[in-house]
Amino acid sequence: MTVAGDVRAEPGTEALPVLISARGVAKTFGATQALRGASFELRAGEVHALVGENGSGKSTLVKVLSGVHAPDAGEIELGGSLLPALRNPRAAVEAGIVTVFQEVLVAEARSVLDNVWLGADGLLRTRIPVREKRARAREALGELLGRPLGLDTPVEELSLSDRQACSIVRALLRRPRVLILDEATSALDVATRDRLFGIIGRLGRDGVGIVFITHRMDEIGEIGDRITVMRSGETVATLERGRWTPRELVRLMTGSDQLTEHARQGIEAAVARRGEVALRTRGLRLVPGAQPIDVEIRSGELVGVAGLEGHGQDGFLEALRGAGAPAGDVARVADGREVTLLSPRHAASYGIAYVPKERRQALFGWMSIRENFAMPTLGDDSRSGWLDLRRMRRRFAEHARRLSIVLGSPSDRITTLSGGNQQKVVLGRWLAARPKVLLLNDPTRGIDVGAKRDLYVLLTRLAEEGLAIVMLSSELDEHVELMDRVLVFREHELFREIGRESLSRRSLVSAFFGESEDADGAA
Amino acid sequence: MALPEVHSATGISSASWSPVSASDLLRLLNRYSFGFALLLMVALLLANLAEESWNFGWSDQLANFAPMALAAMASTPAIISGGGGFDLTISPLIYFIGEIFIIWLAPNGLGGAESVPIVLLIGAGVGMLNGLLIIGLRVPPVVATLSMYFVLIGADLKIAPNPQYLSTSWVQHLAHSVGPVPGAVFTLGFPLVVWGLLGLIPYRRTLYAVGSNDATAFASGVDVSAVRVAAYTLGGLFAAVGALALVGLTVSANSNLSQTYTLLAIASVALGGTSLWGGRGGLVGSMIGAACIYLLGNLLTTLQIDPSYLQVMYGGMLVFAVILGGVAAKAKAAP
Repeated sequence: MTVAGDVRAEPGTEALPVLISARGVAKTFGATQALRGASFELRAGEVHALVGENGSGKSTLVKVLSGVHAPDAGEIELGGSLLPALRNPRAAVEAGIVTVFQEVLVAEARSVLDNVWLGADGLLRTRIPVREKRARAREALGELLGRPLGLDTPVEELSLSDRQACSIVRALLRRPRVLILDEATSALDVATRDRLFGIIGRLGRDGVGIVFITHRMDEIGEIGDRITVMRSGETVATLERGRWTPRELVRLMTGSDQLTEHARQGIEAAVARRGEVALRTRGLRLVPGAQPIDVEIRSGELVGVAGLEGHGQDGFLEALRGAGAPAGDVARVADGREVTLLSPRHAASYGIAYVPKERRQALFGWMSIRENFAMPTLGDDSRSGWLDLRRMRRRFAEHARRLSIVLGSPSDRITTLSGGNQQKVVLGRWLAARPKVLLLNDPTRGIDVGAKRDLYVLLTRLAEEGLAIVMLSSELDEHVELMDRVLVFREHELFREIGRESLSRRSLVSAFFGESEDADGAA
Repeated sequence: MALPEVHSATGISSASWSPVSASDLLRLLNRYSFGFALLLMVALLLANLAEESWNFGWSDQLANFAPMALAAMASTPAIISGGGGFDLTISPLIYFIGEIFIIWLAPNGLGGAESVPIVLLIGAGVGMLNGLLIIGLRVPPVVATLSMYFVLIGADLKIAPNPQYLSTSWVQHLAHSVGPVPGAVFTLGFPLVVWGLLGLIPYRRTLYAVGSNDATAFASGVDVSAVRVAAYTLGGLFAAVGALALVGLTVSANSNLSQTYTLLAIASVALGGTSLWGGRGGLVGSMIGAACIYLLGNLLTTLQIDPSYLQVMYGGMLVFAVILGGVAAKAKAAP
């Protein structure tokens, strides 16, 4: 199947009218500034790729354009006139901006027909007769899938690729002026993806503006007319077709490396403290059919888990904590024996501690700091079944000193603490169980810089003491600064392992986007 | 028959590895979620008929059955709307409207045909209030309707501290017969007809879509809040019909009984195959579920079995039905 892009008239894009012009768009969520003065321009008939690493703000920008989030500042023009604030996705769809979101959104219990036309009617009046609906749905699905799909089949009986196709067809049937595809190709099989690109090409020739987000450089090269690069909530550059290289994109996405290089000084070389193998994965597959993962985690090392969000990092950590995976298993190695992990509980009994991502999941919000600390290790505080509060106090004081937790009184509620100190309490709780392997899921998310520093120092010291630490982080700098090596995940496979000597923001982002290693050569 | 190989991407399909007959049965149960309740109902009906020597008294039985069936049907739209949708107010609302009819409408000359729109409006109004509370205050449905449940029970007790009786009224026909037709056919038929008519406009499909996945519906431009408020409004409307059926049957209002149908209605909905997670099921299922509970009660009463066993059997029946529904859903969802 031929793909669009090569058919399109080359010099045309310059003259095309501007469809969307967004200026100075800002959005904050709590303490996080997701967008700071982002500007973006979409011309009619172009495919405009939006790229950036995790947290660069591309998804937030998409959600502002599609009416999910209201911006705090900035203005958006559509077709030359100022767009009133979009209150919800419906308003955006009525303005002609239709989005296929990153998550595969389907109403599982409903039929294919209901799914692709969801939201097209009002509640009381049918806007499109059923006969026409069936015909257009059949045509659009056929064009995308290259085969007919039963319109009355419940969507839950479809494969993931077909479900994704349904959510794409839903957008296509709305006849958009602006079509936003946020990682919409991730679940599609290759042939369907090529057909989608064909459809995108046709829409472009009809004057539809397309915003395209993907984690694949090859897709950008294949269909992108222009590329806007985002970093830390800002749009840093817009590049024309044929005037960019993957290396340049990576450079724009990562910015400068200076900051982190500096911070890495003074951390002891990893090799010195690498000990015995503590954890070993055997033929682990995070999704059926993916490449198996075989890695070893040694005592005393800090291993980072990285990748664009949703590429299997969470599943990998879950597998390490004994929660299982579609295929393969994880073994705890201790004293020359290998024990296959059967469940999180079983793993915990072999000294594997897990700190979940959501701090709310880890905290007992209405209980005191001390109780939060002691909860899973209450057994240590009891004598013949009776709780010895004095012992609990002593134990907590010891850990609070070690982790330098700043608190008023240990009997205050846990919620009186700052995010960073809460995280330390959670960490202390698991350290109190004297684990041999510590698994952390993005532990520094949403805590301030000072607390992060404390945590880094603490983790490094724990590694020196012989603890094996595996840490998932969505922050590049954290990997560069802290880790002995980083496992980069891509499409639910272990894509690359980067050793400390070649760790840099650039090498990480290159791997995130599936670039070959030499893209990093200059760094 | 060759077993389908599980290949990478194509492995995720509805291809089933279990023996054909069992999986087909589960599929059938899944498509017609009230299948189990229907079989159970037929069995219980036959048992009832046999026990009473084929002298069932259809008209009276239907009249006895109608209030509970209507309570079950009234509880259904809120549950289908998903998002933890739940309406605990149905039973006290039925009694509330019944009391208004007996104490205010009938003595003031409004007990005739004009009472019907008034009663329906009150029911729909209270239902809508429930919906607005849930959507407007973002309170979980169980909490919002539990609050309204207590408010309505209090109102019931205030309006009619003692049982009140109705002199002859047209509503009694609803518990006997209208010409040759059992009166309960009209009360039971009302929600079914409304539900059927809603199938002709986009609303009903949209309701199921919202219940199935509200994030998808919202992202697709559906006004999720309006759909949910309308679901609670429908529940209130059906409850009002339940009130007419109840008043016709008992010719009285006894606020001490206003909690009678609360749990039985929800049990009926679950038994009738409606998913408590929303998006699946329907009114017919709830009516069949209610019939199972009613017929079982009837049977055990005529067999003079200790009534305390009745509750245990309700519980057992419900657990069995819910487990079966879960097994069927799992068989379907499994890759």
